[in-house]
Amino acid sequence: MQQASISEFFEKNKHFLGFDTLQRSIITAVKESVDNSLDACEEARYLPTIEIEIHKVPGKSDELLMISQDNGPGIPPDAITRVFGSLLFGSRFHTIRQTRGQQGIGITGVVMYSQLTTGKHTHVISKVEKEATAVHLNIGLDTKKNKAISSNRKREHWFNAEGELIPHGVRVEARMKAKYQRGKQSVYQYLRMTSIVNPHASISFRVFDEGGAVIDGGDWPRVTDVLPTPVKEIRPHPHGLEIGSLQRFLRESDERKMTSFLRRNFSGVSMRAARDILARAEIDEARRPTTVKAEEAQGLLAAFRQVRIMPPPTDCLSPIEDLLIKKGLSKAIDSRFVSTITRSPTVASGNPFQVEVGLIFGIDMPADGPVEVLRFANRVPLMYQQGGCLLTKAIESVDWKKYGLDHPGGRGIPKGPAAILIHLASTNVQFTSEAKEAVSDNEEVLGEFRLALQEVGRGLRSHKRKSKQREKAKEKFELVNVILPAISEKVSAILGREEPPLAPVISNIMNAVFLEETTEWDPAEKVTRCSFQMFNYTPRPRQYTLLATWPEREGIEIVDESREGKREAKGLRKWKMDTLPPGENVTVSFALDGLTKGDWTEFEVFFRGAGDIIGATKLDEKLLEEIRREEEAGIERQDLLSTEGDEEFSTGELDEVAPDADGTSAVVQSPDEESRADGGADAETAQREASEVTGQSNLNDWRVGE
Amino acid sequence: MSEGKTTDDVVESLHGVAQEMHDRMLKGTAPTMTLPVRTKKNIEFDKRLGVYKYGKKRTVRDATSLRSARQLLRALHIIEFIEEMIDAGKSSTLREMYYISEGWGHGKFGNQNESNNLAEDLEIVTKCMREDFKLRPEEDGSRMIGNMTINERNRRGEWMRINARDDVGDSGYGVPYNVESEKLELVEHDVDFIMAIETGGMFDRLVENGFDEDFRAGLLHLKGQPARSTRRILKRMNEEWNLPIVVFLDGDPWSFRIFASIAYGAIKTAHISEYLATPSATYLGITADDILAYDLPSDDLSNKDIEALKAELTDPRFADGWWQQQIKMMLDTGKKAEQQSLAKYGLDYVTDTYLPEKLADLGLS
Repeated sequence: MQQASISEFFEKNKHFLGFDTLQRSIITAVKESVDNSLDACEEARYLPTIEIEIHKVPGKSDELLMISQDNGPGIPPDAITRVFGSLLFGSRFHTIRQTRGQQGIGITGVVMYSQLTTGKHTHVISKVEKEATAVHLNIGLDTKKNKAISSNRKREHWFNAEGELIPHGVRVEARMKAKYQRGKQSVYQYLRMTSIVNPHASISFRVFDEGGAVIDGGDWPRVTDVLPTPVKEIRPHPHGLEIGSLQRFLRESDERKMTSFLRRNFSGVSMRAARDILARAEIDEARRPTTVKAEEAQGLLAAFRQVRIMPPPTDCLSPIEDLLIKKGLSKAIDSRFVSTITRSPTVASGNPFQVEVGLIFGIDMPADGPVEVLRFANRVPLMYQQGGCLLTKAIESVDWKKYGLDHPGGRGIPKGPAAILIHLASTNVQFTSEAKEAVSDNEEVLGEFRLALQEVGRGLRSHKRKSKQREKAKEKFELVNVILPAISEKVSAILGREEPPLAPVISNIMNAVFLEETTEWDPAEKVTRCSFQMFNYTPRPRQYTLLATWPEREGIEIVDESREGKREAKGLRKWKMDTLPPGENVTVSFALDGLTKGDWTEFEVFFRGAGDIIGATKLDEKLLEEIRREEEAGIERQDLLSTEGDEEFSTGELDEVAPDADGTSAVVQSPDEESRADGGADAETAQREASEVTGQSNLNDWRVGE
Repeated sequence: MSEGKTTDDVVESLHGVAQEMHDRMLKGTAPTMTLPVRTKKNIEFDKRLGVYKYGKKRTVRDATSLRSARQLLRALHIIEFIEEMIDAGKSSTLREMYYISEGWGHGKFGNQNESNNLAEDLEIVTKCMREDFKLRPEEDGSRMIGNMTINERNRRGEWMRINARDDVGDSGYGVPYNVESEKLELVEHDVDFIMAIETGGMFDRLVENGFDEDFRAGLLHLKGQPARSTRRILKRMNEEWNLPIVVFLDGDPWSFRIFASIAYGAIKTAHISEYLATPSATYLGITADDILAYDLPSDDLSNKDIEALKAELTDPRFADGWWQQQIKMMLDTGKKAEQQSLAKYGLDYVTDTYLPEKLADLGLS
């Protein structure tokens, strides 16, 4: 490729390479570096710490120096030029997996763009742990030979600002024509969104002007030590296959027979299925794959559809998991309420996919504007083409008015002080164009998103109803505890009479039993303190059994219980209360050990007994029965498996299928065996996280009257 | 002004309000305060007094909601405050009371409108007037010019004799907030009628043109929606001097309301209409037909204007045929006009042509 042709290549493809405008170029450059850092850390099982700097180059207009540094495993010295100069480097196509998915040609694009716009080579420092020194070098492209060239290569110790040796990591310094700006499409927003879906990463960001003064920046520290589950590679499923790929597979196949070709290259194809397919496609079983012609490939494709093929495995996906989304969202946005859902993985046209959504009701967010939409595909923020994206359409298709958000005309993005996070994890995310900024339409994916969005919507509605009820109760309390005594005192002073007895007046005004519950993190004892207080403001004595939800699971226990309770069902504690005389109140408190701050912020109280309690819900006995039955079934299954002597399963939760209010089920997958095998301690934590999620969806079932 | 109410009477009626609350609480029920409904749906024509008064509809404010309970507590604080002022021989403005309420803890007000309204509620319930409560408005009264002589008691307690033509400058005699007989006496006059004028611009025009002398008129500037003292002095001049009152306003829905408050009684102060309203007052202009007849420069009615006119159609005070016709005509033409639009024909047109013609219709010129 000649100089002219490289420029031509860039010019022709700059839109999908992400370098079509000066503003976008810097975002793309940062994005490629950060994606590389996150992927490398994830593979090496390191908790990533990433620092991004942008410097305005003095004396040059629209020229920026981008510096990115991570604490990842580093790049082996002999692989550096390949990573940064892999212009036409083929990717593995026989297996597919969920990856962050580089834009165009990845970090090589940054090297090229820098060289083409400023003539400068990109400076790289890479240090791997087992070597004493770091490799320092400049990387550029030999435009005549079309390959990466390195210069000034040297080995030196690498120190940080404090003069300490850096054990491992990569630093990239690239100088390019670009323009820094803030806003919805900016480096800042990209990093903020990235930090939300990568709660295990610490990201810091600084922008410096020509004089070296900091003019912008942000810090997003990690909120969890749990690394994402490593993704497994799977073979493509015949149902997701296109003719072009099939022909390529055939052409490049090493197998000698068609039967082994089908069985080894695709998932879900058994020997029987392979024979069946070949019979229908009228291709001899012993044919050499390389000899199969285009028309025959078409026939093969058609035969795939006629034969029963096992669906592809779904454990190849790495969702963020709803509890971690919650943490990620909470660190980026001050919230009053967060609800997150990770749906169980499923398959659309041969491609495993999984959807996740989060809804955060924020503080200090504009109430009259549209909610903030945070779109992600395989953990990568999508910042352009919001309108044409399936994820946006999914949000627009839900009737948000029903769930308490302003949604004028039931069209478009709902309005309110909220943000909606929407994530599609798939081995094959279909985009509308090469720019990879908008997910294309797919009925099954849309359906899954709608279910997830409706579920977080129900969470919001129940939260709003609860806040409203709480507000009302608070007013009543102020009325009878503050204002009424003041009235009584003033009246009696004015008239020079005795104060009337207030208890009967209060009962008359309230005429209800009230219950107030609070949840607080106790930083000293490292426990979550829960309590509820019941007031009998009726003229008659009242007797109730009260039940509270708690996140029952391995490692979490109830401590400091002020009154002894009993287990009623999974995640439901029961207290039989004494008869409460009129005008009296009683408090029950307990603490939860084994949680961290912010894990458990709200619980629900149910009651058994006559009349209503404002602030508690009458227990639906039918629902309770159902939960109990399922729990028993779950225990049976667990017993069954542990008798098989599979120790891996005995410690963890099984896939729990909990019926949802609208009849759908939320299946929470246990981490697969493989993750445990190579994850060690991390996998154990992940296990806990996963079971926390189970508890979460279990609680959703307790919501009555949805 | 008080129809012979002693301070004891006042305190007793205020205690009545507290008594109602105490009685209810002794019965074990929420304390209440009962007061007339204060909307146009509850004003009725009182044949004996010739003015509109509150009807029989009552509303009970009970302490079952936080809002109402706060109102009751505030009312009690005001009662206590009034008693203290009566005992100390002091008085305060409504604004001062609002600021004093800052120290009333849970009984403090959110804004002065709330405290003004509650003081009015107490007037209505106790059938006292705010002067009885030692509360004064800070609103300034109107001004008057013309050959009318008044005795006003000054701060030193001495009576001062003032002629509103000879003893005043161009801005006229300033009417004090209290125009009751202990403060102000109507001594003598040499005019044939009183003309109440909405805007300062028109008042000054008539003064400059010497209208008061040429037409033997007493001129009074209303300053928009007239204060209680303005309406009260109009009524006294009408009754004690037996002078006709003519009202000269802009031609729009809001002027109609100003006239209604002067002639029939205002909805907000319907409990004291008999002190404030002058039933014999006449609406001189600008009428809806004046706009057409004099081809006055006009503006289109706004949506708010139209709403106001429609509300007036069902207001009992405008039930009479002439008013219904005026309101409907304004709605039909969709036009309103200001007093000063008469200047279209020159500065003297109003005094040389318009007013003489209008007064002639009434037999006043």
